[in-house]
Amino acid sequence: MRGVERKKALWGFIFTVPAIVFFAIFNLYPIFYAVWMSFHRKDLLSLKPPRFVGLANYVYLFRSESFWNSLKATFIFAAGTFVPMVVLSLVFAALIVSRKRLQRFLQMVYYSPAVLSSVVAASIWLLMFDPRGLANQFLNFLLNTKGVDYRWLANENMLRLATIIVYFWKYVGYFTIIFVAGMASVPRSVHEAATIDGATKWQDFWYITLPLIKPTTLLVCVMTTIQCLRTFSTQYLFVQGGAPLKPIDVIALSIYNTAIRDHRIDRASAMSVLLLLIIMSLSYLQMKISKSEEVSY
Amino acid sequence: MVKGFLTSSAAWFFLIIFAIFILTPIVFMFTASIMSSKNITRIPYPWFSGEFRWQNYWQAIKGNDGKFLYPRCIWNSFVVASLTTIGTVFLCSLTGFGLAKYKFKGRTIVLLLILATMMIPFEAIMIPLYLIVTNLKMQDTYAGLIVPLIMNAFGVFMMRQFLITFPDELIDAARIDGASEFGIYLRIILPNSTPALATLAVLTFRSQWDNLIWPLLIVQSPEKRTIPLYIIQFATEKYTNEGAMMAAAAIASVPMFILFFTLTNYFLTGAELFAAKKD
Repeated sequence: MRGVERKKALWGFIFTVPAIVFFAIFNLYPIFYAVWMSFHRKDLLSLKPPRFVGLANYVYLFRSESFWNSLKATFIFAAGTFVPMVVLSLVFAALIVSRKRLQRFLQMVYYSPAVLSSVVAASIWLLMFDPRGLANQFLNFLLNTKGVDYRWLANENMLRLATIIVYFWKYVGYFTIIFVAGMASVPRSVHEAATIDGATKWQDFWYITLPLIKPTTLLVCVMTTIQCLRTFSTQYLFVQGGAPLKPIDVIALSIYNTAIRDHRIDRASAMSVLLLLIIMSLSYLQMKISKSEEVSY
Repeated sequence: MVKGFLTSSAAWFFLIIFAIFILTPIVFMFTASIMSSKNITRIPYPWFSGEFRWQNYWQAIKGNDGKFLYPRCIWNSFVVASLTTIGTVFLCSLTGFGLAKYKFKGRTIVLLLILATMMIPFEAIMIPLYLIVTNLKMQDTYAGLIVPLIMNAFGVFMMRQFLITFPDELIDAARIDGASEFGIYLRIILPNSTPALATLAVLTFRSQWDNLIWPLLIVQSPEKRTIPLYIIQFATEKYTNEGAMMAAAAIASVPMFILFFTLTNYFLTGAELFAAKKD
């Protein structure tokens, strides 16, 4: 019997060997490589071997205006997306769950932009933000102005707002679905008990649903933040389409440009390490919080 | 009663207004794809101009240089996304099975390592990964596009969570009938976990079809490009008119919409599963 157990254990290990090899080569090794590279001087095209320079790359980054600008652009984008994304996806989920009809249909409609690829989404909006495009027509209608060009792709703040709108439009349905799933997991009996005790719909949402879906809310908050810090496609296409780079030079775009356009893989590696640290600490925070905030019905 | 009706219709109003906001860009894409530039930039935008300019689609397919690169790029995207999906489904379920149903030394460490890699953002490792792939001489090849993405920690974790509840009796019965451990995986586990496998497949295919940053780093020759790269190139070329640009976008979207309408449930549970990814 012990032999059989040992044979089974061996097979279990064999089944995980491909994964261990894969994650070691393509996930863990790159991290060490990035850390190592960030302490060296290395140009992408030069054949000179990397030269150890200590913290020089980090010192350079913290002194460079463009790195701070990247952090600022990323932060504005993340902050600007975070609030509407979390609040509205929660509201939509609550409204959808309370419908008696067309629940599935509404979920499908709201989710549909997430099906499009991000380049397609960005290219549609690129045309809609055209001076003669729908965005100006809509804003003119809303503000009761006539033929004003709001310079969506030229003005610094409008451009930032434009990228936020694209991102919000594409992913709000995705987070709505997550909230719907979270709300569906609250037992019906809890709501029924509240209703019998005379709670209104509003009270039911505020005092029953909201506290009970706290883990889902936390998850959505962290996921939104992390995804926003990783944003790339919209900004890349907008810049290719002629928009100014500076206001939307988010960190992923900056890493890409530093490595591929400027050939400075050492600085790009240092930026990667910093991005990794920021996101890892956020994920760690999420795990801490979700452990302490477990709810029981 | 009246109050209930009011809040209900206010809710419907809100939901419908927002549904219009969501659908407008998609409708814009399809309507603009059959219009001339003149109509697209007309104010107000003529939603149904009566114009059917199919040349836009022809131009998108033919390309401005007449080399018909778009069909080639669609094929590339299809091959890369499919092979990555097949690999991911197979490898993640195998690992998930090993972690869920076998006790061996170091299992917890392996699981923890995989959970830790789930937190690594691709954007933070793409530059070293690019250097590794270049060193392996896989730059500008299908292999370079596929291999580094053929597994993901989330897939392993999801399959493990799913297989933990898999009935042990089924596995033991097969063992008594003389099945090998790998045979159990092939003949018992795989056929009985189709919902989880399909969800993982849809998630993977979608994200590969959408992938921009990795092909941008890896691909150099025009005929190796994937759809997102083609669209960016096409959209920023001087001779591309707005209609043709939307036609190219529509062509890229139709396969995903077909997949979405036929496999809606797997798309939606895919999003829900993300919500359940906490241990």
